[in-house]
Amino acid sequence: MRRLFLLLLIAGLALAAPVLAQDSQFGIRGLGTPGRGESVRARTTGGAFAAFDPFSPLLDASVADVRRVTAGVTTGTSWRTVEFGSQTASLRASRFPAFVLAGPISSKFVVMGGFSTYLDKSFGIATRDTIDIRGTPQAVRDEVTSDGAVSDLRIGLAARLHPRFAIGVALHGLTGSTRVTAIRHFADSTTYRTSIARDEVAFHGLGGSASALLDLGADLRLAAWVRSDTHLRADIRGRTVSDDDLPFAFGGAVRWRPGTEAAVAAAVTWRSWSGGGLNAHDTFNWSLGTELGSPSSPVRFGVRGGQLAFGPGAKAPTEFGLSAGIGKQFSGGRGRLDFGIERLERKGPGLTERVWSFLLGLTVRP
Amino acid sequence: MKVRLTRFALLLALGACTEQATAPGVCPDFCPGGQIGVVDTIFTDMIERDTAFSGYVEAVGGEVMAVADVPGAVDSRAIFRMNAMPLVVVLHDTTTSPIIVDSARLRIEILHRDTNATSLWIKLYRLPLAIDSTTTFAQVITPFTDSIVDSVNVNALLSAPHIGDTATVRMWGDTIQTDSAGHVLLVGADSSLILYTDLDTAQARFVAADSGRVAYGVRVSADSANTIALGTADNGRGPRLTWFFNFLDSTSTAKDSSLSRGPIFDSFVFNPPTPPIDSNLAVGGVPAARSLLRVKIPALLRDSADVVRATLVMVPVGPVPGAPADSFTILARAVIADLGAKSPLSTNSQFFGTHLVHLNAADTLRMELTDLVRSWALDSTLTPALMLGQAPEAASYTQIRFYSTRAPAFRPTLHITFVRRYTFGAP
Repeated sequence: MRRLFLLLLIAGLALAAPVLAQDSQFGIRGLGTPGRGESVRARTTGGAFAAFDPFSPLLDASVADVRRVTAGVTTGTSWRTVEFGSQTASLRASRFPAFVLAGPISSKFVVMGGFSTYLDKSFGIATRDTIDIRGTPQAVRDEVTSDGAVSDLRIGLAARLHPRFAIGVALHGLTGSTRVTAIRHFADSTTYRTSIARDEVAFHGLGGSASALLDLGADLRLAAWVRSDTHLRADIRGRTVSDDDLPFAFGGAVRWRPGTEAAVAAAVTWRSWSGGGLNAHDTFNWSLGTELGSPSSPVRFGVRGGQLAFGPGAKAPTEFGLSAGIGKQFSGGRGRLDFGIERLERKGPGLTERVWSFLLGLTVRP
Repeated sequence: MKVRLTRFALLLALGACTEQATAPGVCPDFCPGGQIGVVDTIFTDMIERDTAFSGYVEAVGGEVMAVADVPGAVDSRAIFRMNAMPLVVVLHDTTTSPIIVDSARLRIEILHRDTNATSLWIKLYRLPLAIDSTTTFAQVITPFTDSIVDSVNVNALLSAPHIGDTATVRMWGDTIQTDSAGHVLLVGADSSLILYTDLDTAQARFVAADSGRVAYGVRVSADSANTIALGTADNGRGPRLTWFFNFLDSTSTAKDSSLSRGPIFDSFVFNPPTPPIDSNLAVGGVPAARSLLRVKIPALLRDSADVVRATLVMVPVGPVPGAPADSFTILARAVIADLGAKSPLSTNSQFFGTHLVHLNAADTLRMELTDLVRSWALDSTLTPALMLGQAPEAASYTQIRFYSTRAPAFRPTLHITFVRRYTFGAP
């Protein structure tokens, strides 16, 4: 039966993989919606455990304690309601935001690789208008869609230099593409033909990150990280159409283990997104979470808050979320399934988004 | 319990793999930076060269015979010659019996008419057998003056009661209307009129020396608008003459019989004749004229725009004179290869453009050619040229003339509405 579960899970992940969706309408007018870089385990603790979770592609040093080759994958589906004043819409999307593979190459060093969603650029909007052509009003309906994302391909090295101190560094290749379409339908389709424009936009960028973990005692661990990304270049058929600054970011986290079956963590991050063009803002985010119960089947809770990188106006939109989840080890600890649920509310000038997300993660240690 | 929860969560994950990503756009705050911009422009120099050619289809090849009498504008008359008749009936291999004609019945189909016409008279004239495709209007003035054979008031027939008894329907196939002179009228499924005229031996002279060939002409007159179109052999609806005769069979008993003949030649002549081609563009008339327009697609339309509407605009030199009820269609077809007058034309009706021209009006022609211009903009291997012709050709005395590129103020233009290429990639 467990094998059947695994087969179903793999099939589900394969189905989910091709569909990458915009998490937020706030990102449409910006570079996109930044990915979270969190495993299901970290996400269900509000993101507070991401710095200590080797399978959250956030902190490179966290893989220093991986002693066997291990892979972790995350997927999720979200149901989103957007409210523009009196208008509302319900959206649904599936994502495959993170994959991490790590394994030791010596007693001290661990290499890691994988990918995660750096900027989600999938969206679709439909608008209606009436324009004047040849002296006659014509009703038109426009659809602009974008399907794709910028992925963060990471390759890094982590080392435990001391029983209480580990560091990690990684190079990040930002790459991806979006298939974009702009369609104008005319109500008078007999006289006016539908106009369809299609293209594919390729994105390229580079980044680097470094991080460290420090144990202040048996129960208390501190984490710090810094990351700098260069530019995101967008090319269409070999021609560069935009070149935007990417953020410098840093953050810190603390985890406290008061007992063998309880852990509490908190984290903060800051990212300088404001160089990313119009509607871009620097962001500060915080999170607080806990993991309770035995390591083989823990229960997790979390809360997060902060700002979104893109949105109209001088002030960044805000976000607040609650999350919960469970984990289940199987095959004698060689595998683990994590499930989670998350409720988010994002608010900005003219728009409120409410999101329910169902999360599924798999970690396998062959 | 945990196992069930795990299974439920797994199934939920599998079932959620569908996407609904399109939401109403609230612009500009929550829309992409690009805009779908529409531009409407008259390209005055896209039609860079044009030529008119004549001589495509003669009246003898037309699908109809145009008959009209519009004083001061046009006088058009149908002429046709019927096929020869056998002079004898073959009784056995070597035994024949001569036929003795006693009457005939002429059937003509009126495909179009002015339904507002009052007291529409169709007049039948006997014409010389020498008529052919070179016959001119002037050559048949005399027989059209002194050789009238029969005349029928079509409006009177149309107002006559319908006769629909069993015997009549069995004989004619439908209800009929008739008059005291024995004319019979049937209304076809397409509202055409089928007129039968009984002719005696004086009206339908069976001359053995001519092998029974006869030729007739048709004129019309009416209180007001008077124009009709008669079917021709080219569309399978030409005149038919049924000869009724008797002969002696092998036992020397008189037997009645009949034989129907179709036209070996049908055409129409009109006055004034179509003038020769000049510096303007000509479409229609007899012989049929066509105009070739060569288009230069600007780089803007090829590279950075999507044509959503294209209209050919042409200014006529003047109104086309004729019966007010008459009209004709101009058909634009894509040219596969520009070989001048003999350019092969596309048969793909998706790219056809049509325009109905009403007579006695000098309205500017505006013909929608959206699909054709879109195809030129998208495929640079296509020949950007089109041929304008009348549809059907040589079926009317009407010819329209348009100003050409040699008249800068009135030259043909293309009125194009296009969408600028959307700017992707920028937030």
